[in-house]
Amino acid sequence: QTVAITGKVTSSDNSEPIPGANIKIKGSGTGVASALDGTYKIMAKPGDILEFSFLGYEHQIITIKQAGTINVRLNPTSSDLNEVVVVGYGKRARKDLTGSISSIKGDDLRQTQPTTFDQALQGKVPGVIVQQISGQPGGGVSIQINGVSSITGSNSPLYVIDGVIIPPVGDPGTGSNPLNTINPAEIESIDVLKDASATAIYGSQANNGVVVITTKRGKAGAPHITYDFYSGFQEISKRLPAMNLQQFATFINARAVVWGFDSRADFAAPQYLGLGTDWQNALFRRAPENNHTITVSGGDEKTQYLLSTSYFDQEGIALGSDFKRYSVRLNLDNQTTKWLRIGTSLQLAHINENVNSTSSSVINTALSITPDVPVTNSDGSYGGVTDPSGVVQPVANPVALAQIVKDLKTRNQVFGNVYAEIKFTKDLSLRNELSGNFDFTTEDQFSPSYTFGKSTPSPSFVSAAAAQNFYTVIRNFLTYNHNFNKLHIDALAGHESQENTFQNVSGTRRNSPSNDVQGLNSGDATTATNSGDNSQSNPTGGSALESWFGRVNVSWDDRYTLTGNIRRDGSSNFPSYNHWVTTYSGGFAWKINHEDFLKSVKGIDELNLRLGYGLTNNQAIPGNTFVTQLATVSSSLSGTAQFQNNLPNPDVKWESTNDYNAGIDASFLNGRLGFTVDVYDRETHGLLLQVPLPEYSGTVAGYGPGSMQAPYANVGSLSNKGFDFQINSTNIKSQNFSWKTSLTLSRNINKVTSLGAGGDDANLSEKSYVINDIIEKTVVGQPIGEFYGYVFDGIFSKPSDFKTHALPADPNGNPYPVSQAGGGIWYGDRMFKDLNGDGIIDSRDETALGSPIPKFQYGINNTFNYKNFDLNIFFSGSYGNKVFNQVAVPENDPQNHAAFFTSVLNYAKLALVNPNGSASDVNNVYVTNPNTTIVGLRNDNTNDNNRPNSLMIEDGSFLRCKNITLGYTFSPKLLSKISVNSVRVFATVTNVFVITKYKGMDPEIGSWNPLQSGWDQGYYPQPKVFTMGANIALK
Amino acid sequence: CKKSFLDRPSNSQISSNNFYKSTSDLRLATASLYGGSEWWQFNNEAWLQIGDVLSGTGSFQYNPDLVQLFTRTITAQNGIVTNGWVGLYNVIGQCNGVINAIQQTASSSISAKDKNAAIGEAKFIRAVAYYHLAVYWGAVPIIEDNSKLIKNPLLNRNIVSDVYKFVANDLTYAANNLPKTDDKGRVTTWSAQGMLGKVYLTMAGLGQSGGQRDQKLLDSAIKYAGNVCKNSGLQLFEQNDPNHQGYYDLFRPVNNDSPESLFSLQWVGGVGYGNGNDLQLYFSPTPAILPEKEGGWEPLAPTYDLYQMYSAKDTVRRKATIMLNGDLYPELDQADGGYKATATGLKKHIIGNEKDNNAPTMDPWSSIEHTMILRLADVYLVYAEAILGNNTTTADGDAIKYFNLVRSRAGVDPVLTLSATTLRTERRVELAFEGQYWIDLVRYSYYDPANAVKFLNDQDVNHGRISFTYDPTTKTATRDTTATPLTLPATISSFTLPIPSSEVTTDPKLAQPPVPYY
Repeated sequence: QTVAITGKVTSSDNSEPIPGANIKIKGSGTGVASALDGTYKIMAKPGDILEFSFLGYEHQIITIKQAGTINVRLNPTSSDLNEVVVVGYGKRARKDLTGSISSIKGDDLRQTQPTTFDQALQGKVPGVIVQQISGQPGGGVSIQINGVSSITGSNSPLYVIDGVIIPPVGDPGTGSNPLNTINPAEIESIDVLKDASATAIYGSQANNGVVVITTKRGKAGAPHITYDFYSGFQEISKRLPAMNLQQFATFINARAVVWGFDSRADFAAPQYLGLGTDWQNALFRRAPENNHTITVSGGDEKTQYLLSTSYFDQEGIALGSDFKRYSVRLNLDNQTTKWLRIGTSLQLAHINENVNSTSSSVINTALSITPDVPVTNSDGSYGGVTDPSGVVQPVANPVALAQIVKDLKTRNQVFGNVYAEIKFTKDLSLRNELSGNFDFTTEDQFSPSYTFGKSTPSPSFVSAAAAQNFYTVIRNFLTYNHNFNKLHIDALAGHESQENTFQNVSGTRRNSPSNDVQGLNSGDATTATNSGDNSQSNPTGGSALESWFGRVNVSWDDRYTLTGNIRRDGSSNFPSYNHWVTTYSGGFAWKINHEDFLKSVKGIDELNLRLGYGLTNNQAIPGNTFVTQLATVSSSLSGTAQFQNNLPNPDVKWESTNDYNAGIDASFLNGRLGFTVDVYDRETHGLLLQVPLPEYSGTVAGYGPGSMQAPYANVGSLSNKGFDFQINSTNIKSQNFSWKTSLTLSRNINKVTSLGAGGDDANLSEKSYVINDIIEKTVVGQPIGEFYGYVFDGIFSKPSDFKTHALPADPNGNPYPVSQAGGGIWYGDRMFKDLNGDGIIDSRDETALGSPIPKFQYGINNTFNYKNFDLNIFFSGSYGNKVFNQVAVPENDPQNHAAFFTSVLNYAKLALVNPNGSASDVNNVYVTNPNTTIVGLRNDNTNDNNRPNSLMIEDGSFLRCKNITLGYTFSPKLLSKISVNSVRVFATVTNVFVITKYKGMDPEIGSWNPLQSGWDQGYYPQPKVFTMGANIALK
Repeated sequence: CKKSFLDRPSNSQISSNNFYKSTSDLRLATASLYGGSEWWQFNNEAWLQIGDVLSGTGSFQYNPDLVQLFTRTITAQNGIVTNGWVGLYNVIGQCNGVINAIQQTASSSISAKDKNAAIGEAKFIRAVAYYHLAVYWGAVPIIEDNSKLIKNPLLNRNIVSDVYKFVANDLTYAANNLPKTDDKGRVTTWSAQGMLGKVYLTMAGLGQSGGQRDQKLLDSAIKYAGNVCKNSGLQLFEQNDPNHQGYYDLFRPVNNDSPESLFSLQWVGGVGYGNGNDLQLYFSPTPAILPEKEGGWEPLAPTYDLYQMYSAKDTVRRKATIMLNGDLYPELDQADGGYKATATGLKKHIIGNEKDNNAPTMDPWSSIEHTMILRLADVYLVYAEAILGNNTTTADGDAIKYFNLVRSRAGVDPVLTLSATTLRTERRVELAFEGQYWIDLVRYSYYDPANAVKFLNDQDVNHGRISFTYDPTTKTATRDTTATPLTLPATISSFTLPIPSSEVTTDPKLAQPPVPYY
């Protein structure tokens, strides 16, 4: 005899109803689902066992005694191992994984209130090294997964957003970030696929790992409306020590005495001059930011929807930079018929960016303009260089430039996919997907005519550019699932073709009749230039990729799982005889806790061992580098002429990586303690690279007028070994108070194991144009991007120094004489170590000066909950990496013709032993401050004091308090009277403080080019951000 | 997908594999070798700096790299040294690409004569680049096929005599395959023979000493330079102008590619940074006369030493080369009634703004002046010097004739005998700020090192390398005494530039002794 049981299923964490929960009578096959409001009704017999289950919640079992009401509160699953993670072209429970995949939930991501989601991955995902490239609002980030494996192109992972592959992120300079159209508030989760057994299904594009972003989707149930907003401001964390006007004048006076020229009448009495302009003060501001997001989601059993709209507005901390994002997202899923499911993920984004501060290099200008120049003159006009006696440096007023120059980028982006999933049988289904990313960008520049003091008057300049990039993918794949008793099989087979096309056009004109008319038309037509459709400006332009792929996954008794992947890719980036390549991988997982010998051990929730191996391939080079491309240039001989743009390499082919990975996922004590550890060994062969050949090759890797683009070649082999470790612990869990800690730690050892061309001397070296010399030289046996140069050993300060230290030599190998005169080495010059002991200083005394690759990167996250309060404190850090402080080189050089750091005041000061004796007698001179690193005042640099040396390479280790957030959630009781479900308010400080020995603005320096990694070139620094906000859920 | 799905040739750039189908295609390929970005680094960043500042003809005190050249304390990190090196090898890379592509891929329907002529143009230009490399650096790596560097990137230097031999071989090929006449601006056999004369004159001193040169090589120089002088049918621009304005007018852009020009870089306006001739942008004494009134960043100050070389009658060449306080230049900044100089400064290469030249596209970065790398007057003086050879003086009829043609065009009195000194002075004046004087001094140092070193040091003893002021009322020049660069004496090492340290670090083999090429 059956009785009626009714009740409501709610979630234990927020008391919200759970619609669609399964309520089953155990062993009978009878079951119902809860309704939208969480209520259910089921007929059962007393003694029956009711099983309540819902994805993401722990099962609950209740034995029926009589008719009546049974309300059930389901607990969210605490173990990470039950969560569902995204694998290529599908999903799987974490406990069933064979590959190395790290995941982060949207809520954890948003703790730092990032402008773009990639910034927020820092320190949160083991094995992922995230470095900010620019603190420009919405600016770029470099991400490396398990070390630098490939060093060509962007070196960034593949980004897949709801199945849409975002085309490889090129180096967009220091300005904008192509991923910045995505609103972090819309992200449900991010899965980072790290080893080959996880990535191989994505084939060649996934050589640097895959970042899979899943946006939130609607769930069946009552409409869920949320409103999130925050508001705050940002300010610069650190200023560099620039000389004030009095210091500057005093220094220039002292130098003019030695030089015999460059003295300035207006500097006669420095003490009356005042402090002059503090350009960093003038340029940097306290900048507001605001974010609003409204999301509505819901649906019924057939159709689920999520509609989200957001507005984000941020000013940059440097004048002339801001960022506005408007976005709309629509995610729809519809179970059309029993056998057909269709849906879409769509995002529309509109971005207005002012990138003037970066494009006009105002930050570097602010460091190089001297304090005697006023920001504005007494009449209100902008100040400029007015030095009447010396030379006029073409340095324009950066504050003026930031304000009067326009450089606006507008992006309209549509990306998303539509899919149809056809279920042929219970086991077999076919998914068709059409994905696209359509990007329309315009850039509007206007530089008015201006005159600042004596600095160069400039005519007005108008530039307009428009570009569109179309990226489309057609993908079809079959999946098959079947259980044969204890054996479970799932399999996948598919085809994918991708095409990337672009168009762009730009024009410029000069001499607008007025600064008020700024359109391209207003300029003088006779000065017009135009260009368009230039594959050089878009290295990924016009490429295509076609692939076949398959995967088989076999598991037995929920104990052993075997996965095999294979994929065949053809790339247009290689000559036809090298088009195709095969990527494959295999993985094995063993759930040790399901074995009999562990079943009885209490406290072990999960213990999963994973082993993987794979061969992956990389094709990330621009198209058509295997032939000489002829560019059309102007010629007065024939109107046009053909310039050879690149040095071709007809032998260029795929790069391949052998990847071994082993990992353990474990969870203990009902999820209170968990850890994941992975060790990996990756060997990359046929490393693809734009080879930095000696300059006598007539080529350059990068920009160099008149040089051909250096060839792309397979230059050598690279090894990455390391481990990633993540531990999650609930330290305290009581009614009112809980404390959770998570720690991630990554260690990567990078070593170049061979470099083919060049024999014993083979190297990959990179030149700094500031010092006009090689500062980076990668050789076999060392990590990639290693710094290289001389070892600084003090300054010449006493007579014996000239005996104990070798002197630089002229082109014929003869040491320069010790002399005060030009052409000699003298007191105050820098001493370098004669490492080869041959008695002279020359290139043979250069050595490795340390690596920009950190020995460890780590993150420590602590979350405290006390009653309705929550507190999150997040630290991230890096240890053992070196930074090339390029910005400081000119500022620390007394021979410079621009501004100086105050350190220059401590230039080597010469004195005479016998004041009446000769100043040119080597035995009668000494340096009064022998411990200084700043050279003396001379108008001669025979010693090449700024040769690349250990002084320029600094320790970049840091510990950053990345984020502190304090939140308060109002109790539901309080809210029940108004129509609000939940309210949380919070206050956050981001980039709270940094502990570092590094002397520049910020030790965290990313780069897309591993050969220029750790070069501080005066990037836009990361600001300190204060925000307050609220998350509101409406009924 | 279709098979062609993966074939994605660029739709804005042609591939060299399928380009060279007709003679006119060859002409488009060789046209790019005459100017544009591959010549930009050398022309703007090294040519006058090494040729004239290093030799003591001009100076600018606020650029540390230029100061190093001026005081001859040049280090391997000097940016000008790097730019010269990179710039010349950029030119060589383009020439090599054209030569190899024509040889390997040009359509068989193109006549051998046309192919050889196009190769001849490229070899001529390559030879000019290698010649400058040899003069500046001595032993340098010789590269004929840049694509081989992909497999074997690190080269040794080649001994300097082999570099010159390579230059002479290229020029001989060019002399044999280039036509006697061609479109305006293109090189001809006379360009190649004139250059060959100059190269043989240089080679004649190599490895010699005591002031004696190899007579056989001098004879070769006489043969080729003499052939240009006597048989080319060319003459100096406005040789017979009664007002002797020929020299002045030669450097005005309306007379670009005059018959006197044997090889000029073919600059065009409106091409912006990195592609054009921006000599005046940097070196003009004032921005007021430049396009958009922008520039004059490194106004080159002529030295007192140079000024003293001009005789009283030598006013046309002086005014065409350097400005003195009070000089009026009606052709510059015509909209404002011409430019009246307020100080000493450079004039050659300063051509004024876009309106002065009726060239609306000319921007600050792209002057339309075609810079002359080799001109007939240079070959005349080479011919005279080759005839003088190992004699102390000469009164040889040909030598005197061509030497005096140079002088008479400028309205200066003829001479009756020639010595090494009169020749060196004449070359310095005639070719001032054309990058030649350092080449002359290096040539001198080859066969008479002791005196060449002394010659350099004497400039300093006299403070000749110092700039000067000029009083237009008293017409007196006063040597600037405020800034005396105190510099150690020159040595024979002073005649060789250091190889850029970035190159030596990348390719340690460059620090090893040079090896033969042949």
